[in-house]
Amino acid sequence: MTDRPLFPSQEIGSLAKPRWQLLGQRGEPLDDAARAEFLEADARLAFGAELPDRRDALLAGKSREVGGEAIRDLGALFAIRTFESAGLDRVYDGEARRIEMYEYPIRQMHGFRFQGHVRSFDSKYYLKAAVTGEVGLDHPYHVEEFDFVRRHAHAEPKLPITGPYTLADWSYNEYYLARQPGWKGRGARHEAQREFVVDLARRALRPTIRALVDHGCRVIQIDEPAAGTHPDEAALVVEGFNAATEGIDAEFSMHICYSDYRALLPELLEAKRCRQWAWEFANRDSAAHDGYAVLGALTEYGDTRDVGLGVVDVHRDAVESPDMVADRIRRAVKYLGDPRRIWVNPDCGLRTRSLPVARAKLEAVVAGATRARADLENPRR
Amino acid sequence: MIIRTGLAGPFPRPEPLIAATRDLDRGRVGADTVEEVFRSTEAEVVGLEERLGFDSVTAGYLRWQDLFRPFAETWEGLTVGPLTRWLETNTFFRQPILLAPPSRAPGALAARLPPPLRSRPSAGRILLPGPYTFAEVSDNRSGETDQAIIHRLGRALAEEVRELSGLGFGTFLFSDPLLAVRTPTGPAAEAVVAGYQSIRSALGPSTSIVWTYGADAIDAFPLLDRLPVSAVGIDLSETDVERLPPGKGSSGLGLGVVDPRTTLGEDPAEVARVVRIAYDRRRPAVVWLGPGGPLDLLPWEPASRKLHVLAAVRQSLASGGST
Repeated sequence: MTDRPLFPSQEIGSLAKPRWQLLGQRGEPLDDAARAEFLEADARLAFGAELPDRRDALLAGKSREVGGEAIRDLGALFAIRTFESAGLDRVYDGEARRIEMYEYPIRQMHGFRFQGHVRSFDSKYYLKAAVTGEVGLDHPYHVEEFDFVRRHAHAEPKLPITGPYTLADWSYNEYYLARQPGWKGRGARHEAQREFVVDLARRALRPTIRALVDHGCRVIQIDEPAAGTHPDEAALVVEGFNAATEGIDAEFSMHICYSDYRALLPELLEAKRCRQWAWEFANRDSAAHDGYAVLGALTEYGDTRDVGLGVVDVHRDAVESPDMVADRIRRAVKYLGDPRRIWVNPDCGLRTRSLPVARAKLEAVVAGATRARADLENPRR
Repeated sequence: MIIRTGLAGPFPRPEPLIAATRDLDRGRVGADTVEEVFRSTEAEVVGLEERLGFDSVTAGYLRWQDLFRPFAETWEGLTVGPLTRWLETNTFFRQPILLAPPSRAPGALAARLPPPLRSRPSAGRILLPGPYTFAEVSDNRSGETDQAIIHRLGRALAEEVRELSGLGFGTFLFSDPLLAVRTPTGPAAEAVVAGYQSIRSALGPSTSIVWTYGADAIDAFPLLDRLPVSAVGIDLSETDVERLPPGKGSSGLGLGVVDPRTTLGEDPAEVARVVRIAYDRRRPAVVWLGPGGPLDLLPWEPASRKLHVLAAVRQSLASGGST
């Protein structure tokens, strides 16, 4: 539970990268549209003046001279200020330096070999690795990224990091499966996956998280989007979470989305150091279906942790009204009992939406929280 | 032991084809360029299937975006819905939406078959969705019951089979994993049997195989044994082979013996040992060896290696060197 005003707000992860960043980090000059996009954002957020050398290089078509990372700095600062200007209490950099959430972490480790692309759907593919040796960490990652956010954010930083279960689930398991004797049936596969997840947690995630905490990171969101893929492995999600966070003093949350949360309970509740469940709800909420009713399951099991409440849908352009957001918060209060347990946020990362739509949704999150807070504090208003 | 070998689902796209389709999406190349890569890749898959001695060839069904799309896009009463997760994988398909009772569009599926199959139908293996899985994954807004939809899909698939049989195709594989994953009971199970009876009536002398995967199929056998098909396939990586019920003698048994969920190569001798256990329990007329699910869960290279394992397993069984 928190001592903040009711319904503090946070982001969950990504924002779409502005066109000026994409061109600039490739060392390409800005076209008219990208230049206009940058100037509009800078007029609104005044972030360029904080990194004038990068701003000037970008606008002068000299991005190549300052380098891609310098332009990413500018993109990260833009995202931080976007979140802050919307009024969020916890922010990050919109994952401005990240392309995706799997390949980059795996490339910071050893014991993996990339196997090639697999089709996700239609003509969309992702690169997939196999674990071919014992997992190890080359060096902790996201640390420089976090340092930048810590130096520049006015709001409290919250760092998202892909969890061990998801990294394992999105990889092929060779090394640990080969160690299983005999027929590689379901039992052998499960045990091999358990060893893989725990090794990833202990040998890669935990040292990375420790390094981040040593750099001042206090709030960490462990992303486990694969958790809902195999509900029968909920205990393994927890084992990975506990191993990754063991002995580390920080405020941890677990983000899961588009899953049947009831199917993960009660096993998920054994995540010892998890202080907040950051889940998607708005996507499943409609006039015909109360997407927040599943919160009743937490109450049934007596779980009293905070909930990061997804109140805007990141898969639809239609922007939720503050009234709709407030209504969703009120329903969550009904199921959870204690309003102090609720944080509000988008369902998931907003990179699926255009920047104007993302900004409008973030503002709806904050406005809806303000309205719900006022209603609760003065119900007759 | 009579052994047949072949693919049981789509094969992955190789890196050059992936690059071409991405470039097409980004407007960097034209459709003609991608078509050339499709054709050369299909020829490569057929060449691989033939070199490995497979009994029928598929050309990989590389153009199909998912198992249901050719039907959702062409049949009356169906439309293409949202992206949906495919079983417990990190791949997705477009959910078919049934707006009305489905009926097929004559000639539409034949036109979407891989070109190498159209030119040599007698050697081709037709891949179709099983009526139960098709119905289960669809969003049924037709006003009909789910059981009625299973039966109707069976009848529509039977019409496809009748047309393709007329073109000379002789082997039909129905991918129906949900028969094992969420085994139907009661009226739904009866609808599945009725659906496959419709298909049976259209088959003539052709071979029909129902392929399940993704779960232990043991509890599905009371139903699988009722299906009027040439063989039922099960996923050996999921199924406890020691619990296989005795077979019915004349029917065939499909065995998914290479696992598309791992790049780890199977030991052909170990696989052959497990196949013999399955054979001894079921005593099928024919054993159909294939992958335990669609190999497009793997990249091209590891999937190709799995095909070689498949051929090596058959060789091991044929030579009696399985133990």
